[in-house]
Amino acid sequence: MLYSYLIQRFLLMFLTLLGMSIIIFVLLRLVPGNIVDIMFDSAGFVDPAEKATIEKELGLDLPIYEQYYHWIVGLVSFDLGFSYVSEMPAVDEIGPRIPITAKLAALSLFFSILFGLPLGVISAVKQNTALDYALRVVSLSGLSLPSFWLALLILMACVSYTGAIPIYTETPETLWDELLLYLLPSAAVGFRASALIMRLTRSSMLEVMRQDYIRTAMSKGASDNAINYKHALRNAVLPVTTIIGIEAAFLIGGLIITETVFNIPGVAHFLVEAILMRDYPIVQSLVMFIAIIVVVINFLTDLAYAALDPRIKYSD
Amino acid sequence: MSSFENSEAAGSNRVKIRSNWYRFKRLCQRYPLGAIGSFIVFIVVFAAVFADFVAPYDPTTTSAKMSLSPPSSDMLFGGDMMGRDVLSRIIHGARISLAVGIGSTVLGGLLGTIIGLMCGYWMGLFDLLIQRIIDMMQALPLLVMALVMAASLGPSLENTIIAISIPLVPQVARVIRSNVLSLRELPFVEAARAVGMSDLRIVFRHILPNTLAPLIVLGTAQLGSAILTEASLSFLGLGVPEPYPSWGRMLSESAAEYVRVAPWLVIFPGIAISAAVFGANLMGDAVRDFLDPRNQG
Amino acid sequence: MRSNLFKVLAVAVVSASCFGTISTAALAEKSGGILKFYHRGTPPSGSIHEEATSSTVVPYMSIFNNLVMFDQAKPVNSLDTIVPDLAKSWAWGGDKTKLTFTLREGVKFHDGKPFTAKDVVCTWNLILGKSKAKLRKNPRKSWYKNLASVEANGDYEVSFNLKRRQPAFLMLLASGYSPVYPCHVPPKKMRTKPIGTGPFKFVSLKQNEHVKFTKNTNYWKTGRPLLDGHEWTIIKSRSTRVLGFIAGKFDMSFAGDISIPIYKDLIKQAPHAICEKHATNVSTNLIVNQFKAPFDNAKIRKAMVLTIDRASFNKILGHGEFIMSGAMLPPPHGVWGMPPEVLKNVAGYHPDVAANRAEARKIMKSLGYGPDNRLKVKVATRNIAIYRDPAVLLIDHLKEIFIDGELDTVETSNWHAKVARKDYQVGLNLTGIGVDDPDAMFYENYACGSQRNYTGYCKEEMMKLFEKQSMMDNGPERMKLVYEIDKKLQEDAARPIIANNVRYNCFQPYVKGFKTQTNSLYNGWRFEDIYLDK
Repeated sequence: MLYSYLIQRFLLMFLTLLGMSIIIFVLLRLVPGNIVDIMFDSAGFVDPAEKATIEKELGLDLPIYEQYYHWIVGLVSFDLGFSYVSEMPAVDEIGPRIPITAKLAALSLFFSILFGLPLGVISAVKQNTALDYALRVVSLSGLSLPSFWLALLILMACVSYTGAIPIYTETPETLWDELLLYLLPSAAVGFRASALIMRLTRSSMLEVMRQDYIRTAMSKGASDNAINYKHALRNAVLPVTTIIGIEAAFLIGGLIITETVFNIPGVAHFLVEAILMRDYPIVQSLVMFIAIIVVVINFLTDLAYAALDPRIKYSD
Repeated sequence: MSSFENSEAAGSNRVKIRSNWYRFKRLCQRYPLGAIGSFIVFIVVFAAVFADFVAPYDPTTTSAKMSLSPPSSDMLFGGDMMGRDVLSRIIHGARISLAVGIGSTVLGGLLGTIIGLMCGYWMGLFDLLIQRIIDMMQALPLLVMALVMAASLGPSLENTIIAISIPLVPQVARVIRSNVLSLRELPFVEAARAVGMSDLRIVFRHILPNTLAPLIVLGTAQLGSAILTEASLSFLGLGVPEPYPSWGRMLSESAAEYVRVAPWLVIFPGIAISAAVFGANLMGDAVRDFLDPRNQG
Repeated sequence: MRSNLFKVLAVAVVSASCFGTISTAALAEKSGGILKFYHRGTPPSGSIHEEATSSTVVPYMSIFNNLVMFDQAKPVNSLDTIVPDLAKSWAWGGDKTKLTFTLREGVKFHDGKPFTAKDVVCTWNLILGKSKAKLRKNPRKSWYKNLASVEANGDYEVSFNLKRRQPAFLMLLASGYSPVYPCHVPPKKMRTKPIGTGPFKFVSLKQNEHVKFTKNTNYWKTGRPLLDGHEWTIIKSRSTRVLGFIAGKFDMSFAGDISIPIYKDLIKQAPHAICEKHATNVSTNLIVNQFKAPFDNAKIRKAMVLTIDRASFNKILGHGEFIMSGAMLPPPHGVWGMPPEVLKNVAGYHPDVAANRAEARKIMKSLGYGPDNRLKVKVATRNIAIYRDPAVLLIDHLKEIFIDGELDTVETSNWHAKVARKDYQVGLNLTGIGVDDPDAMFYENYACGSQRNYTGYCKEEMMKLFEKQSMMDNGPERMKLVYEIDKKLQEDAARPIIANNVRYNCFQPYVKGFKTQTNSLYNGWRFEDIYLDK
């Protein structure tokens, strides 16, 4: 039963990714202004003969389905082609940037759970009190502040008070230096993310608290705190794991902006640059990479959900 | 005699007004945050609609004298690099934010509703296909999707609206579909079908009105995030182009460059975006609580 | 009497400055250390011959040598400041139609292969399109229209044969845009891993991150370079990189990056910084498409020129420090520009803007336009701040003469293609010039058939004048003719110059042995004499 579900979900995941790849590929081919014009931009003019040569060199003269075929075949064998801009293998361009973004994402996720989860629980338990209102306003404002504005304000404050500015270096001298480098940007991303976690935790806590088993526990004379923390939280954690799954996708949006403002050379920043430069091999592979991550995380959270269903848990 | 009747009618009118006012007050007391949010949204709407009358200056007129001039009685929020009035640009910028916010919500909501209704009501192969496409669209974070769309469609007001509305479609479609699925089995729909009502009529007469609540919840929730996404796109240089004064663009490049000389260029548009999104979110929360059946009674 | 006094003064100043340089040189140049720059965006490639942007030429120039170069210690480039580089000496022959260079012996490329005359021939054959290997892009083709062939006479002598007389030809070869490439390295490799004979070797380029160069320990100039290397951190946001400089993370700003308003903040925050004010020879200009009605009418173009309030542009964008000029940059920053007394008489340059606009309105009315019949146009410009800001001002000025402009911002990726296709009505453009010489300026931007002549301005009589000045030796005669040509170009509204931009180049006080050049952004980045006095 579980196996057939697993296989079914797995196949669906592949189907989704296949469709995704087509959508990405076609969308990028609608882009006005082709790569050759951009490459000529720095030289300042376009010579049609030279343009045709380059198009041929880059394989842009092939029919679109053939271009797609080449890409997919390459994708499966980890050969992502060459960046149009740097003429380096796309794998070498993308690969080294992944750990940078991963570190930033992990730190932001850590922050968001550290603050979001407990505050969400408190807010739910103290529903409709002044504390709840205050926390809700804080979390809503977290969702309302544009992350680029927050990042700018942080930078401004940083320079005004310390006279220094975190500039990314490849080889920070100590672990502490490295942490400092990631701290501010991840705080900027994490603020927003923790607001989201807090809201979702609060609502799923409230949901759980309404359910029968809590009422039963209460009628058995369990103290308020015991109910809140033992029963409700345990069951609210499940939707929260799903939330963290969604969160991973959500984080990428925040990372795009924050990496750009703080000039951190991670994949998210690279994606924006590549889009502006129409560097197809990079953009399509990166977007595909993001899609794969999101779909896989969704798949895993689905599995976790199936394995940890609260009703099964509670029946023992 | 007649005068008595008149005064009685006037009295009942007064009671009606008073009762409306009373209900409004009750509502505000029950959802104080929602009331604040709605008030902020009202201000933004007001600014957008009456920008031509409210704004003290033309948002595009430049002035060498006022270049980077600090806030003063002449220019309450100061002047930007080109000597344009920041306040007037914020007021006119409300138009773009609202146009994108409302436009994308309506467009996305409409498409999502149609797709969701069709999926839920007819099911079958069509449903399966659409569900897969929706899965695909949800596999990309909103900003990434909007970025790719904005890059592929080119920067313009219409394209920004389209780009931001697309990610809303699957959300709406999914909610509507599940709603329809539960509704279609209910007795009153079955009864309607039994008397030979056409599918289309059933959908419009019975199903659509009953899915309105979740639609409104989703729509109000979307408003804030659409405004925010537009600002982010503009900030990254892929949003609504000049000459329209857009809040996000006011914060990009030149504002950041002159942030130390002219901090008002960063502070005021940032406050405008945050306040508008905050207001929209508060309002959205209140609407959700209000329409949530579990919160009734 | 008075002129004598000046002479004495001048001698005093010159000798003082000489002693000055001698004494600083005596102050012991220190070797070692890495010079840290910031860069504003990833260079499109490392192949200077294929690019036309300071993003490439500024960091990569130090990999290479030219045949000749502009003296790196002198701020104004001219024929008189050209010094030997890979060529020990040069001589004109055949009434300045043949230029022969004697080359330095024993010079090696970074990969150990020797440099010979063959490499020079290969390099210019590549530009002329005569070699088997092809450049992907060839932006300097128009510079060498008059070059017939390049031939080697043995290993250490090479001749450039010209089609007609061109005394200023040497200027082109002295530019940072004219490095000598190795014959044995294919163009594709030059884009990703360039190799030269210069003082620094290319180490690595990482998109959006850094470009790094290290000292060439086998450099042919003994005792040079003094630095161990130079590194460039790429930061796209100007506010962030300038803050980084203020915080002391960088030793020098990027060429042309510090605008006047930003300088004023920077110097307050970092009062110790040394900032050299320099013209960039990049002009902000109006382009009007002469093939699109109603702009095919010279009268309307004249009205547009008259309505431009240059002082207002200057005040907002340059805090009054921009240079009013025609196409050529005037002294002391440049060499060939019209002096103020000549410029004042050019139509549209008269400081009485109200009178100019009254005249412009009269012209517009004669063409049937007026307050009730306004002309609607799209003003195209590139979607970056240095283009957009002046374009916003331009639209405001056009409003005065019944023209309603709407900004049509074009993504960087499409901008040059769009204007080269002449797919615009009115546009706002920035034009930079590689070497400060009328030959480069006129043939690139105003000649019939040139691809960078975006307005399509083409006049037979002007072509004749271009050639006439090109064949003249430098001197008052050529100068006078250049003024005359420039005046005509401005009055024809061929590409009306709104202002010549001024920027600051800032570095930390311990950076020595560097001078910012003032009439080109592209020629002063050899870095072999720079040292850090820490």
